[in-house]
Amino acid sequence: MTIRNVHDCGQRHRPRVACLKKVEALVLEMQDPTSGVKSQTQRLVITTIPHALTGEDVVAWIAKRFNVDAAEGCAIGTMMVAFGYIYPLRDHKRLILKSDASLYRFQTPYFWPAQQWPVEDTDYAIYLAKRNIRKNGVLELHEQEQYNNLHKWLNHKWDFIVMQAKEQYRAGKERKKPDRVVFDCQERAYWVVHRPPPGSVSAMDLGLLRLIDPNQEESETSDYFRRIIIFTEQCIMRPRVKSSVSLGANPWLTDDPAYWDLNSLTIDNPTRMRVERWTFSFGELLSDPRGRDGFRLFLKKEFSSENLAFWEACEAVKWGTASTIHEKAQQIYKTFLARGAPRWINIDGKTMEVTVRGLKHPHRYVLDAAQTHIYMLMKKDKYGRYLKSPVYMDYQRRATDPEAHNFTETQLAQNAKNRRPSLSPIILRQQEEEQQAKLEASGPVDLTQVMSKLDKRNMLKEGQK
Amino acid sequence: MPLSNNKVADDGTACEANTPEEGKTMVDSLIKVVACHRHLASCVGGSTDSPHLRQELRQTRERAQKLTLSCRQHLTSRLRDKGLPEAERKDAELLWVAFSSSLELFYADMCKVFNMGNNFSLANTCALVQTGMQGDTHEVAARALSLPDLQHEGTGAQSDSVERQELSQLEQEMTQVDRTIEDMELKVNVLRWTVEARGPQNGELVSTDSASLTLMAGDEEAPGGTAERSQIFMIMVICGVAAVAVGISLSVIFLA
Repeated sequence: MTIRNVHDCGQRHRPRVACLKKVEALVLEMQDPTSGVKSQTQRLVITTIPHALTGEDVVAWIAKRFNVDAAEGCAIGTMMVAFGYIYPLRDHKRLILKSDASLYRFQTPYFWPAQQWPVEDTDYAIYLAKRNIRKNGVLELHEQEQYNNLHKWLNHKWDFIVMQAKEQYRAGKERKKPDRVVFDCQERAYWVVHRPPPGSVSAMDLGLLRLIDPNQEESETSDYFRRIIIFTEQCIMRPRVKSSVSLGANPWLTDDPAYWDLNSLTIDNPTRMRVERWTFSFGELLSDPRGRDGFRLFLKKEFSSENLAFWEACEAVKWGTASTIHEKAQQIYKTFLARGAPRWINIDGKTMEVTVRGLKHPHRYVLDAAQTHIYMLMKKDKYGRYLKSPVYMDYQRRATDPEAHNFTETQLAQNAKNRRPSLSPIILRQQEEEQQAKLEASGPVDLTQVMSKLDKRNMLKEGQK
Repeated sequence: MPLSNNKVADDGTACEANTPEEGKTMVDSLIKVVACHRHLASCVGGSTDSPHLRQELRQTRERAQKLTLSCRQHLTSRLRDKGLPEAERKDAELLWVAFSSSLELFYADMCKVFNMGNNFSLANTCALVQTGMQGDTHEVAARALSLPDLQHEGTGAQSDSVERQELSQLEQEMTQVDRTIEDMELKVNVLRWTVEARGPQNGELVSTDSASLTLMAGDEEAPGGTAERSQIFMIMVICGVAAVAVGISLSVIFLA
């Protein structure tokens, strides 16, 4: 049995229901024999089927009815096609209304979109089985995938599904040939609307599910006011800086992956907006991995990269797994805090005392005080210098300025077809870890080595003297 | 198999099926009736909507109700029989799943018909949607009722009050089916994850009916008519070539 309690989470209260009712009223108006849309006959090889409409007739009727221009009429018509009240007879997968002589037909009320009955997977399985029975291998790739998926999840009813598909097919054969064709077109159009092929925008997409009913009156208890206060406080706390630099082609509209490539972690020339963002605050600089790379480069030149390394190590302790805290803390002590450590950081005595005492029983936030001290040090001193440094100036100079897109319609369709999933997060994480390992292996500036080199140089000089 | 023990109270109708084969036949007929009902329901509100259609719908519904009752009795009695061997229990469970799924489809279709009946009154024929359907659905209804031919009683006209009466009756039947589904769930404990389908994934080809496919496929190509004409032209060329080949072979035989 299918679970029939429809947990639609208040979706039935969304404005879409009112929209559907209005479109239905409009469709009924179009049926009027005197004032409705003119219908023609569709001529196929042996048969003729009546009640076909041309796109331009529909657009003209809508434009006259609502007293709008043709473009607006076309948009309204496209909405009707996208909802499934009218379906195209050619090119059935593209749910748009073309204002030319291409033919359309009204969908039967049985297949109209309805909010109160969700579209059942069982019905979809029966439809796909029917098509498969008629001609094996006619299913498209995404339909085949869904069919296999449904076979897995609805396995207990699969006999029923196959039998029902056969019976529906046989019952369909009892009808006359033109009616059979019309019914097949209707069913196909219904499923194109409700199970759209991947890469197409679906009008039946309801968006995020809401957990509450938005039209329900909320009682003004103290809890309600507390939530409102927290919400407004958070709004005030957010940084209100907004930049209006161009963003390039919107990947959700143009299916162009350039946006992701330009803003990736390993890019050489970050975009201008990103580079500017690093000037807003030190926190912004550190939270962007690319910014941190640039900062690290600068600090290397200034021979104070141990600060950033310490800060990063403290972050690793804070965010890492509980089992590794002890080990990591010991490592940090040996590398950064102990007397004569290779990368000794410069923190004041009191903080050092507190930290060392805490390290006897390390917990997640044991290095917090030292980390804050180093953070403030970097912020007050190094950050300002970084923004004036040649490293940063170089970034600013090389920053790219992505332009808005100028793709044509065909290019957009091509982009939609070429959509591929990006790299798996597992692979990205592996890459990150490799980079981390490389960084560590490439030899951080070890103070003892530097000191020993300096000593050697001094000795040489003295020797020369 | 002898009459099973009467643990389940008799619902008043005659208990027809006792053998598993008869049970399967009943469930198969129910599936067939539900499929036909769906075809009929898809015409409501469209250009072929008429009092005849509503009558056919009503008759199909009645038949479905009868089948439902007898199936339900049969399956409930079999599944509550504790002494049923394992293989037969599995069969009965499969039948039960098929029965409840068809009831659910039937219920959904009835809801839709009820809703559409409220919106599309037959009195106002110019408000019916022009869907392109022309023919009638007598054959489908005849198939559902397992009759060779369908007799239509009464005239075509149907007054408003009769319509409203029909709709209220439909509502009653809907609640009845709803209650049947719930009762079935409560009375019989069938664990769905233990039920496994028997048949193949795709089902074998029923027939190579590519006629309507070609009609639709021809529709898709840009100048649909010329594509069909080119197909006919190709067929004629092939026939001509075959005729020439036959002629040559005949002449060879003649001369040789």
